[in-house]
Amino acid sequence: MNLKRQLLLVSLLTLVLPWAGVQFIRETETALRDVQQQMLAGTAQAIADSLAQFPDEFLQPAASARFGTGQVYAHPLEREPLLDGYYDDWSTSTDNLQSMRGVDGPIRYVLATWRSQLWFYVEVPDASVEYASAGDDRDADMVSLTSVSPNSETTEFRFAPEAPGRIVALRGGGTVEQRVAAHWQDTPNGYQLEGRIPLQMLGDSLGLTIFNARPGDSRVRSSTFSSAQPGRLVTPSALLQSVLRGYVQDGLRLIVTDRDGWRLATSGDIARGGPLSDREQDNWLRHAYNAILEPGEEAELAEPDASGREQQRYIESAINGSAESSWFRSAQTGRAVVAVAQPVWSGNVQTGAVILQQGTEAILSLRSDALSRLMSFTLIATLVAAGALLGYATWLSQRVRRLSRGARRALDDNKAHAALPSIAASDEIGDLSRSFASVLKQLGDYNEYLRSLASKLSHELRTPLTIVRSSLDNLEHESLTTEGRQYTDRARDGVERLKNVLGAMSEANRVEELVQHAEVETFDLDKVLNSAVGSYAAAWPQREFEYRCELSDAGMRGAPELIVQMLDKLVDNAIDFSSDGDAIIVSLSADEQHLRIAVSNPGPPLPDKMRGQLFDSMISVRSESSSQHLGLGLFIARVIAEGHGGFIRADNTEVGVTFSVALARG
Amino acid sequence: MSKRIAIVEDEAAIRENYAAGFRREGYAVDMYAARKPALEAFEARLPDLVVIDINLQDDIEGGFELCRRLRQISEDLPIIFLTARDSEFDAVSGLRLGADDYLTKDISLPHLMARVAALFRRLDAMQRPDSGQSLVRRGDLELDLDRMTVRWQDQSVGLTLTEFWMVHALARYPGHVKNRQQLMDAAQAVLDDNTITSHVKRIRRKFVEIDHSFDAIETVYGMGYRWLGSQ
Repeated sequence: MNLKRQLLLVSLLTLVLPWAGVQFIRETETALRDVQQQMLAGTAQAIADSLAQFPDEFLQPAASARFGTGQVYAHPLEREPLLDGYYDDWSTSTDNLQSMRGVDGPIRYVLATWRSQLWFYVEVPDASVEYASAGDDRDADMVSLTSVSPNSETTEFRFAPEAPGRIVALRGGGTVEQRVAAHWQDTPNGYQLEGRIPLQMLGDSLGLTIFNARPGDSRVRSSTFSSAQPGRLVTPSALLQSVLRGYVQDGLRLIVTDRDGWRLATSGDIARGGPLSDREQDNWLRHAYNAILEPGEEAELAEPDASGREQQRYIESAINGSAESSWFRSAQTGRAVVAVAQPVWSGNVQTGAVILQQGTEAILSLRSDALSRLMSFTLIATLVAAGALLGYATWLSQRVRRLSRGARRALDDNKAHAALPSIAASDEIGDLSRSFASVLKQLGDYNEYLRSLASKLSHELRTPLTIVRSSLDNLEHESLTTEGRQYTDRARDGVERLKNVLGAMSEANRVEELVQHAEVETFDLDKVLNSAVGSYAAAWPQREFEYRCELSDAGMRGAPELIVQMLDKLVDNAIDFSSDGDAIIVSLSADEQHLRIAVSNPGPPLPDKMRGQLFDSMISVRSESSSQHLGLGLFIARVIAEGHGGFIRADNTEVGVTFSVALARG
Repeated sequence: MSKRIAIVEDEAAIRENYAAGFRREGYAVDMYAARKPALEAFEARLPDLVVIDINLQDDIEGGFELCRRLRQISEDLPIIFLTARDSEFDAVSGLRLGADDYLTKDISLPHLMARVAALFRRLDAMQRPDSGQSLVRRGDLELDLDRMTVRWQDQSVGLTLTEFWMVHALARYPGHVKNRQQLMDAAQAVLDDNTITSHVKRIRRKFVEIDHSFDAIETVYGMGYRWLGSQ
């Protein structure tokens, strides 16, 4: 990973800023909500206290023993429905329909009050509807309402029609009760029954029973109560309703329940806000809120329960005697509702609970404002930080890259004293540059030393060699035994070889000198090469030589002897690395500034690790066995090429090696 | 009376070895290790030939200085530089100071003897009247094999012994290519390729000084040189 990416990654740390901001906003929101909850709790306490003066409206715990299981709840109706056997004109919703087990499927029913009438509606799935025959309803489908009054009088109203349509009820004894009317409607899978009864004809308990008659079998009973007694009939309290109306405020909903959670009165409405506008819905901020803010419970749970009995946890806890609060947030809209529940006491007896719910529009708008501002500020901060770091990283890596390029160039060109970038800088890159410079200088000194080593060595060795040689020359004239003669001959051989080595060593130096003082003449390189390659063919008959030239004008200025000497070295090299019968190809081509000579031979490729040093003094890639080579040939070739304003390079080809030399024309 | 040869050489072993070689050939030899005693002796009595090393111990250019002084004393005393220094620059400097030959210490004793003998022969021939018998002519070129002198278009060309032998080797068979080894043998010296190139360049330059259109020595690249012109 380069420096730029690393710093960019580090700049991601600025994303901590929005996180911290979000934490802060959460804290603020929680604090604001707590304040609102406390205020609501205070209000709820006050309302609960005032409701304590109406103990009769609540069920007293002592009275509950009278009732059987299966309480039923009558919803308050807002207008009077038509008595037609259909539910669609009721002001309650289908959600309010309760369900009980029936033999041909679930039976759905609902009870409601309108003024002094109790309305009921039943949907019964029935595979075969059996009508009563005149006066005899024992084997017919039948709906029955059972009520017990506080002084234990049981009243029963039975609805068993002889045909669909408007019917009246039969009392338990068989008498017709004209005041209790109902409408029976057949449906494809059964029937539905809508009816009404004056409340005063009923006690405070009520049960609904369905008898499903089946041909050739006994009737099956489904009922809201399973005990001998029907359960309590809970009806909303008109008194409490009117009391609550006095407390209602904008955006506040009040609900009063009895100690079983049955809703006795409800008033007001939390401002649910209109449907969200498109802009609000698409706003990415909205998604951000939902993602980062505390979710709360679903807002749907804040609505009054469809069954009429409030069963949520915070309400349960209030019913059990302790004030409790909760809050809701809709995942879709993000709108939050704060709710508190407060127990109502009447003396030492807890008789019910007051629930207050309020929307949190104020908090929401505050939060949304803060959040959007926070988002934009931190976004700007992050972008600025990232941009600055990126720029800094670019600058820094550019300096490092320039330095590395400079060092590489200095190394390639063997210019140890080339100025490196940032050398005067006072930072770590400056330090690096200075260390590079000193390393390069040492390397340059070392190269210089190597370069002069050969000539110094040859010079120093020449004098002792002369002593040996002249002594041997003198020894020739002394009388020696045959053996003595042998030894002098061997010594002479050794001296001869030593002399050749010294000659090769000083040659490089001589060539450098010659290049510097060469007399430049204009000549045709093509002719020179042609002649030289011709002579190689004669000198090395065991190799094939081929000369190719594509140029019409190969004129250049330089020292032809030196160029031939360079070619000698390259051809020597090519011969050493090829085998008998191989073809050595010398070719001449040109580009805009340079004439190019290439010498190719088949043979082993150059080892990669030596590539950079191939043309340095005293470097040889030959195997150990050929000890005669000092690694000066290619160095001499390079000196000559560079002396002609060109360069030399070596490349591996598919079959061998090509050395190419570029020479400046002028 | 035998000829006297003076050797000025700081390295005792080399000095003695050369002296032994010369004595064997019948010369009388004087040996000096430094410039000062040598010069004092030469001022008293000149030898017949002087062999000088350039680098005389701490006196790095002492040989050059000695050569200059000797030329002031005598114009035709043969002076040979025999040195470990093989740079082109030193050779040119030495010859410019009037030395008759500039040899590196690679040279073998027999080669050295041959040169010394040749120099004495030339000196003798100079003192005899020109017999004209040993003249070789190749067009504008005239070689006097006894005196080892060269004339081009009837003007004398001042060549050293090595250069004379090279020109002679080339001009004897015009049109024939002489490779470097052949030239080296002819010059009775051991020279590397670059030294031969330098010698040929120097020879050309000397001819060109007399005749600007001189181009009788042709380079045959990769092979050697040849003399252009008729027999």
